[in-house]
Amino acid sequence: MKQINSKVDSSLCTLAPGKEPCITDPLSVSGNSTTSSMSVKSTPEIEKKFVHHVYDAIAPHFSATRFAKWPKVASFLSSLPLGSLVLDAGCGNGKYLGLNQDCFFIGCDISPSLIKICSDRGHEVLVADAVNLPYRGGFGDAAISIAVLHHLSTENRRRKAIEELVRVVKKGGHVLITVWAVEQEDTTLITKWTPLNEKYVDEWVGPGSPRARAPSPLPLESIPESEESGTGEHMKVCSESNVSRDLEEEKHIKNQQEYFVPWHLPYHRAEISGASAHALAAGLATKDDKKGAVVYNRYYHVFSEGELESLTTGINNARIVDQFFDKSNWCIILEKTS
Amino acid sequence: MRLLTHNMLSSNIKGVVNGFPLRIEAEKVVEKTVEMNGDFLKKMFEKVDWKAFVDASRAMGYNELPEEADPSMLDSDEFLNNFHHALLELHLEEGALVCPETGRRFPVTKGIPNMLLHEDEV
Repeated sequence: MKQINSKVDSSLCTLAPGKEPCITDPLSVSGNSTTSSMSVKSTPEIEKKFVHHVYDAIAPHFSATRFAKWPKVASFLSSLPLGSLVLDAGCGNGKYLGLNQDCFFIGCDISPSLIKICSDRGHEVLVADAVNLPYRGGFGDAAISIAVLHHLSTENRRRKAIEELVRVVKKGGHVLITVWAVEQEDTTLITKWTPLNEKYVDEWVGPGSPRARAPSPLPLESIPESEESGTGEHMKVCSESNVSRDLEEEKHIKNQQEYFVPWHLPYHRAEISGASAHALAAGLATKDDKKGAVVYNRYYHVFSEGELESLTTGINNARIVDQFFDKSNWCIILEKTS
Repeated sequence: MRLLTHNMLSSNIKGVVNGFPLRIEAEKVVEKTVEMNGDFLKKMFEKVDWKAFVDASRAMGYNELPEEADPSMLDSDEFLNNFHHALLELHLEEGALVCPETGRRFPVTKGIPNMLLHEDEV
């Protein structure tokens, strides 16, 4: 029976300036599928097009830029007891797998291309969905989710992914989660992102939705792209840049949490990948001849202060042991209590 | 895929009550030597579902493990070596992992299991 992506997220409504976008999900049940709604484990269109396909297309190039080990993650992993079994859900190119040589890592990611890169490096990996981990509960000693949850397009899915991380570790086990923050240290970076508005509701809703596709009262707020930061991941600390902004615009940006973040795939890499021809034809990527790159968009829901914490309040078998802001990411460490 | 990983994997198809353990269909198994760490093995011994582990090792063509095991066996070098070998040195390169309730086959290709579900399985 075909799943119909009919349930609309009211979180992804018009983001008119001054209006607080609602982030509560109409799927109020804790992720159990009901007869009329899409299962929380079903992948919404926007994620298929602007997360899964993109990473598969850019995998080798993306991997080549993912080498810097974030100190906070490194110290979390290094502090684990000898012989710990560590689960990395959304491991990407496997940057953190094996970081602590005294632990055994098992990584999973939704992208077969990225997993292939991990496997070629000798890591133990599998292709799986962070929202529905194929692991029996309580097996891991620790789990990490580094820059993953911001690619999930509904609050319920983000919560489910956290529940999964808690489920798969043992009692007393720790979970480290990091996500991109609304509060970016380098405010010029955000100017390179495309804030999403109602035009993109199609992507969340999918075909056949009852939701009316009324023309948006707002034009698409696409901001001319300038050179994107090479690493994408916010490893560099912003230098003092006095970006003067309209107060209105600033407020709008503060409320804005849904974005397309560009990835420039150089032409020579796009040819090797092969997937880009299809992406261009399908309108999922564009060409930038000036930069000699195919431009992909990645979907992000960036997190506001306290949002990670609020997602965990319903999880009664885990407690927060630490939470912090570091290099434009919100981070949280949970401990499973029972 | 190593048997340590297999011992953790479970079918998460909608409606499945107990998706563990997945039955192994082995088409190609390779052996890759890796250094043994006794402390690590002792920790893993506590986690491992022994029956599932033994069945899986036999499906991979390895028959040296006893039907039942208890922690005292870890004092035996021979047992420890065999445990180490089965847990970490046997790799399923090609084959499938089969859901015990639905029969659904999760393919293993180049050592990588693909555990993604289809739309109608979530």
